[in-house]
Amino acid sequence: MLGRYLRLFAIQLRASTLVAAQYRYDFIVEGIISLFYTVTALVPLFVIFQARPTVAGWSFGQALLVVGWFTVLQGVLEGAVNPSLSRVVEHIRQGTLDFVLLKPADAQFMVSTSQFLPWRITSLLTAVGVFGYGFHLLGSVPSLSALLACTLLFASAVTILYSLWIMIVSAAFVVVKVDNLTFLFSSIFDAARWPVSVFRGFLRVLFTFVIPLALMTTFPARAMLGELDLSGLALPVIVAIVFFGMSRAVWLRALSRYTSASS
Amino acid sequence: MIVVQQLAKHYRVHRRKPGLWSAAKAVFKREYSVVKAVDDISFEISAGERVGFLGPNGAGKTTTLKVLAGLLYPTSGQVRVAGHVPERRAVDFLRQIMLVTGQKQQLIWDLPPAETFELNRAIYDVPRDRFQRTVSELAELLELGNLVDTPTRQLSLGERMKCEIVAALVHRPQVLFLDEPTIGLDVSMQTTMRRFIREYNERYGATVLLTSHYMDDVAALCPRVIVIDHGKLTYDGGLEQLTHRIRPEKRVVFRSEPSPDPAVCKSLGRVLSHENGQVVLLVPQDEVSGTVQRLLASFDVKDLTVESAPLEEVMSELFARGKSEKTAS
Amino acid sequence: MKVGPVLRALPTLFRVGFAEAVAYRAEMLVWILATTMPLVMLALWTAVARQAPIGPFGEKDFIAYFLATLIVRQLTGSWASWQLTFEIKNGVLAARLLRPLPAVLSYAVDNLSALPMRFLVSVPVAIAGLVSVGRSMLPSTAWGWVYFALAVWGGWLITFLVNIAIGTLSFFMESSNKVMDVWMAAFMVFSGYLIPVELFPSGLRKVADFLPFRYQIGLPVEIFTSRHAQDDALSLLARQWLWVVLLALLVHLLWRRGLRRFAAYGG
Repeated sequence: MLGRYLRLFAIQLRASTLVAAQYRYDFIVEGIISLFYTVTALVPLFVIFQARPTVAGWSFGQALLVVGWFTVLQGVLEGAVNPSLSRVVEHIRQGTLDFVLLKPADAQFMVSTSQFLPWRITSLLTAVGVFGYGFHLLGSVPSLSALLACTLLFASAVTILYSLWIMIVSAAFVVVKVDNLTFLFSSIFDAARWPVSVFRGFLRVLFTFVIPLALMTTFPARAMLGELDLSGLALPVIVAIVFFGMSRAVWLRALSRYTSASS
Repeated sequence: MIVVQQLAKHYRVHRRKPGLWSAAKAVFKREYSVVKAVDDISFEISAGERVGFLGPNGAGKTTTLKVLAGLLYPTSGQVRVAGHVPERRAVDFLRQIMLVTGQKQQLIWDLPPAETFELNRAIYDVPRDRFQRTVSELAELLELGNLVDTPTRQLSLGERMKCEIVAALVHRPQVLFLDEPTIGLDVSMQTTMRRFIREYNERYGATVLLTSHYMDDVAALCPRVIVIDHGKLTYDGGLEQLTHRIRPEKRVVFRSEPSPDPAVCKSLGRVLSHENGQVVLLVPQDEVSGTVQRLLASFDVKDLTVESAPLEEVMSELFARGKSEKTAS
Repeated sequence: MKVGPVLRALPTLFRVGFAEAVAYRAEMLVWILATTMPLVMLALWTAVARQAPIGPFGEKDFIAYFLATLIVRQLTGSWASWQLTFEIKNGVLAARLLRPLPAVLSYAVDNLSALPMRFLVSVPVAIAGLVSVGRSMLPSTAWGWVYFALAVWGGWLITFLVNIAIGTLSFFMESSNKVMDVWMAAFMVFSGYLIPVELFPSGLRKVADFLPFRYQIGLPVEIFTSRHAQDDALSLLARQWLWVVLLALLVHLLWRRGLRRFAAYGG
């Protein structure tokens, strides 16, 4: 069964790539926009750190690592998560979700792999640039164990991101006109640029446990710096598993409502 | 093959009166009413049959079809298709069915249809040799040529529909649900579609359920019809019998040289129309042969046919009756 | 185009627009939550200013600034670019053009009919500001309120006109949404949405003064939080409205050309 789904994944990816290859100049355009976005987002950081050497215990170089992780995840969000899941909204609106449901494969899997934008890989390149600059300022290089820890946390960050998105998209079954959801998510997600210790009280709790932005960017940045111990590593992984389970339940519930309530 | 017992499907619809105050109120409190899309219907269909679902708009035809395809969960009742319970959406079940709807598309827009066929092949796990055979047979039946290698967005509507059909049938489903398949197509495309559906049914022994507003579709394809009106099943049987029940009179259409005398026509039967030298007489079934003999004796007949009432009329009458029964009750 | 019938149609258009906006409850909530960026920036900047002020901005100043930013963003927001692009690509624009109402005006009406709701959201925010910062949150002079109103109106006009201008580019290219993305990125920085313009390094500051972004959000916010003397405010207002005029001309040009193309190719 796993083999079958892997094959399906490969085929979906291939279809997306074929489509993307038709719009070649998008690659350059995406690259430029991604660069532009990252640079403009760094301006506040520059201004702040010119006035202060550290903010909430983070130096400029360290804060750059958080921005780097943010850029990586944004690339994943816009290249893999957003395109396919926003298709669900379109499907519901146009009534073509039925086609997906008719196929003898898990609906959630099919919609999640229905469209990739491979050109968003430029975000990863930009992120590498940011990491490079950050470490240059810090005058150090991440250790091997740190990089391994990062890989693990990257996987859990992507899982959390994906799970959040599935839950949001499941709302489209009930609410239908959810054009603003992408916008909403991007707005909230934007807070992940900053090390979570910047936030106090209620927001901090929110961004650590409810919408775990902290686990997606701050934690991996700290892992890169070699600052995370085993329990620090375990938390994002556990949360990722929990969120994934929750999102699956929400999706199934929404789907059964759809098939019971629509006509 | 298909067994339906006391199927019912109800759903809630939000009702709101127009106006600014109601709009604001609706933010806090919503009113719902229950719509009975399908209300206690039962029928059985054997393998290889072609059945047409008829009924006015909103009668519950599409809803029934979707329940059979597993896309909607019934509110109550039993449904079995090919031995499966559709709502469970078992992989084996889904591999045997297909739902084709008139204008909704599944072809990938930017790529040639051939890519979508490939994708479906993988999804339905069709062995490659059987896949090749099926696609080439279908392509032949529909006269596709090398349309399959042109990006979908460059195809005309008719060409696209043909490719959509092939994409839908790549896995050779044994049960075919067709929801308004010819809507929006031109006349020649409609004919092609009908011919194709018939061939598919005959060649592969597939069970075909069809809903359509075009009576020609139903007349050409479905020896058996099920009429659903306001969620209730009002007729299940042969199309000819239905016509006979609703509009038992036959029409005698003839043309003669010189043009027939209206007074004589009236004496032969009820004149429905008399224009351009063509006369349509409404004649009760058992008087047909007598009337025809008298016709032939009275005029120099050049052209003569005996027809049943057009289906549109039969249907309008049927629905009108249903409506008046409903308002009476 | 006769002005009379257009004016008479406006109240109904607004009413229907409002009903439409209200019809989707969840969407409303989503939309309100979506413009939360200023709160994040608020958290960030107050964290920075906790120990000591940055330039002329202390903690309270930042709170006032970003709450005001939230309000101004609500009042001046527009999404006409995406709407226009969508309608051009789908041919729905044709329906809008058939109406005896100039299309651009109808987009404006769509935009403005959501204003009452956005206003409703602004009020609690302003109250929250008053509670945490005190009276310095609101303009302290009569001219302050007047200039603020003008600045908000000007800010909305610039935002709206830019949206339309970029939207019309979809007449000429596949989709101008990417152009809008680039604009938004520049907007975030140069408008004062992320950092008060006053805190820009001097080189950037000079650039910001020449670009229209600052006049979309920055100026209304600065006037609201009384960061300018009357003369200064007036000259900045003049510059803002100069931008409005320039953009109006640009839109007029682009729209005409775009329509001709639309009629020729059908979009």
